[in-house]
Amino acid sequence: MITKKALPRRTFLRGLGTAVALPFLDAMAPALGAAKSVKPPVRMAFVYVPNGIVMQGWNPEYEGTLGELPRILKPLEPYRQDITLFGNLTHNTGRALLDGAGDHGRCCASYLTGVQPRKTVIDIKAGVSFDQIVANQVGKATRFPSLELGMEDARQAGDCDSGYSCAYTNNLAWKSETQPLPPVLDPRALFERLFGNGVAMTPAARARENLYRRSILDFVSDDTHKLETDLGPTDRRKLDEYLSSIREIERQIEKTEKDNAQIDPHMEKPYGVPADFAEHFKLMTDMMTVAFQSDLTRVITFLVTHEGTSRPYREIDIPDGHHPLTHHRNQPDLIEKVTQINSYHVRQFAAWIAKIRSIREGDGSLLDNCMIVYGAGLSDGNRHLHEDLPTLIAGRGGSHFKSGRRIVYRKETPMCNLYLAMMDRMGVHVEHFGDSTGRLDALDLT
Amino acid sequence: MQFPNAAKPPVGVLFDSAMGRIDDVLALAMLHGFEGKDQARIAAVCVSSGDLQAARFCDTLAHFYASATTGTAAMFMRFTPIGLAEGKPAAEPAMFKPATANPAYASSIKSIDDTADPGTLIRNALTAQYDQNAAVVLSGPATDLAKLLDMYGVKDWIARKVRLLAVAETGVEADAAAARKVFAGWPTPIVTVGREIGEALPFPGESVARDFASSTDHPVVDAYRAYRQMPYDAPSGAMAAVLYAVRPNDGYFKLSGSGPLRSLVLDPEQKERIVRAYIELASAKPVPRKPPHRPDEKKDDKKDEKK
Repeated sequence: MITKKALPRRTFLRGLGTAVALPFLDAMAPALGAAKSVKPPVRMAFVYVPNGIVMQGWNPEYEGTLGELPRILKPLEPYRQDITLFGNLTHNTGRALLDGAGDHGRCCASYLTGVQPRKTVIDIKAGVSFDQIVANQVGKATRFPSLELGMEDARQAGDCDSGYSCAYTNNLAWKSETQPLPPVLDPRALFERLFGNGVAMTPAARARENLYRRSILDFVSDDTHKLETDLGPTDRRKLDEYLSSIREIERQIEKTEKDNAQIDPHMEKPYGVPADFAEHFKLMTDMMTVAFQSDLTRVITFLVTHEGTSRPYREIDIPDGHHPLTHHRNQPDLIEKVTQINSYHVRQFAAWIAKIRSIREGDGSLLDNCMIVYGAGLSDGNRHLHEDLPTLIAGRGGSHFKSGRRIVYRKETPMCNLYLAMMDRMGVHVEHFGDSTGRLDALDLT
Repeated sequence: MQFPNAAKPPVGVLFDSAMGRIDDVLALAMLHGFEGKDQARIAAVCVSSGDLQAARFCDTLAHFYASATTGTAAMFMRFTPIGLAEGKPAAEPAMFKPATANPAYASSIKSIDDTADPGTLIRNALTAQYDQNAAVVLSGPATDLAKLLDMYGVKDWIARKVRLLAVAETGVEADAAAARKVFAGWPTPIVTVGREIGEALPFPGESVARDFASSTDHPVVDAYRAYRQMPYDAPSGAMAAVLYAVRPNDGYFKLSGSGPLRSLVLDPEQKERIVRAYIELASAKPVPRKPPHRPDEKKDDKKDEKK
C-alpha cells in the first residue's frame, strides 16, 4: 500500500504577528487515493436583512423545482440549483403575544434564539442562539468558534423599538440569555482578527505603520515558499488563488482607508469601513469566504444592517429611510422603493454566492459544504408579520440537501424546526430548540 | 409579560371540531357573533376530520364576518390560519360545497399547505392569551387535543392559560383512546355537554330564513340548506359548549357533580332563553373589526412619533 504523509489540516503560514490559515488542499488527505474519502467540514452562515421583504417579489407562485425566480430573487437565478427556498416558516416568538408594540426588537432577538425577549431597555434577556450552541460544539476544531459580523454601526444600549433595548435590534448571536455578541463592522478589524496576532490597532498607530506597510503575505513568504515545494500543481494553483484573494482584500481595505482619510480624517466611522454599501458587503463576504475556505470558523452570523434601520440607500438613488419606506400602506411608489432595496441586498448576496461557488473543495465547491441562510425576521414589513418568513438556504450542507427547490411547509411551521435540521447537519443533535415541534422534513436527498 | 394595569381582553376561544355536523357550523357562527360583540375572541379554529373543504369553509366564514371591516383596520387585519388534522377524512359532508364553490366568498385555502398543524396552531395561540383567559371547545374526536398534550412544554401552557375545556360529547367516541387520554391528562377543569342537552335544545330551522337575511349570500345559510332537506331543526351540543365556554356565569346551565370533570345540566326554565341566545349570536351580522389587542400600543406609538 502506497502512503504519503499528509499535510495537517491546521497548517498555518506564519510570519511576524501573522498566522494565515490554509484552504483545504489535496495534500491534506491522509493517504494517496483517500482524498475522496475525506469530507470537508460543513459550515453555516446567516445573512440577515432588516425590515422584512416585499413578499410578492420574493415568493414564486409555484412549489418544487426552481425555475424563473421572482424579481427580488432574480440575481440568484444563475445559482438556483444551489438554493432551497422555504415557504411558511414562522417565528411565533417574534409576535407581540402579550407584549404590545416592538416587532423589530422582538423579531431580531428571537430570530436565532427562538425565544421571546424580555421587553426592557435595562435587564435584557433572550436566549442562547442556536449558532452559539453549534459553535460551542464544532468551534473547538477551529481558530474561531464563530464570527459575528455586521455592516452598520449600532449602539448596544438605550431604547431602539418601543421599549426594547438596542441590544435586541442590533445583534443576532447570543452567547447566553443575557449576553449578545455585537457584530464586527470594520473590515480592517476583521482582517486583523483573521490573520493577525489578535492585537487591535488604533487608527493613529495603523497610520504610522502604513508608512512601512507591507502585505501580510510578505511576512509569511518564507513559509509559503517552503510549502509550495511540497505541493502538487493543483494545490499550488489553489494556494496561489487563495493568497491572491487575501491580497485583494488587503488592497481593498487599504484603498478604503485612503479614501476615508481624504473624505474626513475626523470621521467617527471605523477607519476601514467603506462608504459604499456594495463595497463594504463585498469586503465582509470576501473575508467570510476566506474564513470558511481556511476553516478558521464554521459558524458566521452577518447582520447586514440592524433591525428597524432607517438607513437611506443613496447608492441606488433612494434617499428615504429604509424603515419608514416599509410602512408603505400599500402605496405603489413606496413598495417599489422597498423592492429595489430588497433586490439590491440580494444582488450583493448573489455575488457572494457566485464567489463561494467558484471555489473548489473536495469533489465539489465550497458552497456544497455550506448552509448559508439568507432571510429576515419579518415577512411583510408594512404589517409586521412573523409568518412565511423570507428564508432561503444557499448550499447543500455537505452535499446533503436536495437543493434547487421551493418547499412550502404548512402554515405556522416553526423556524426552529429548520434550525434543528441544520444542527443535525452540523453534527449537533438536540431534541428541542426554542419553540420547535420537530425537525423540518423533506430537506434531505434521501 | 403581562401588563398588570391593562384590562384583560375578552376570553380567547380555541375551537376544535370535526365540522361534520351543522351544529359545528352554527357553533362557529356563534363564536363570530360573540367576537362581533366583543365578548369573545376566536383564538384558533381547528378541523379534526382532515377535511380540506371544511377548513376552507371555516376560513370563508372568517372572511365573511370580517367583510364589514374597511380602511386601515382592513389593511392590518390578519387572518389566523385554520388548523387541519392530516389524513383522509372518513366522510366529506356535502354541506360545504355550495359555500366553497361560491365566488362571492373569499378564502385563502387552496391546499393543506395553506392550513396549520392543529397542535402548533393551538400552542401558538395559547402563548398569546392572558393567564386563565382562554377556553377550549371540543366538538368531535379528541385526536388533536390528545396530540397537543404530547407536545413539548404545552401542558404547562394549557394549565396557565386555559380556564376551561368544554366538550360536546357527540362524536367524541370516534377516537376513544384520544378521549380517554384527554379526560385523564387535561390539566384544567372539563365540562361535558351530553348528547341529550343538544337534542333538548334544537336550533330552529325557521330561523335560517328569518334571521340570517342580512346578507344575500350567507355561508351559514348555504351550509344549513345543504346539510339536510329543509325544513329541519338541528341539535345543538356544540352551540351549548360554546355558550357555556364564553358565558359560564350567566345562568344558562347548571353543573352536575364536583371536581375537575363536570357536566352541563339543562334547566328547563332557561330553554327559551338559551335558544334565543343561539339565534341572536349565530345570526349576528358582520361588524367592523377592531385592530389587534396590544395593551401599550398607544403609548409606544407616541414614543415612535418623537423619534
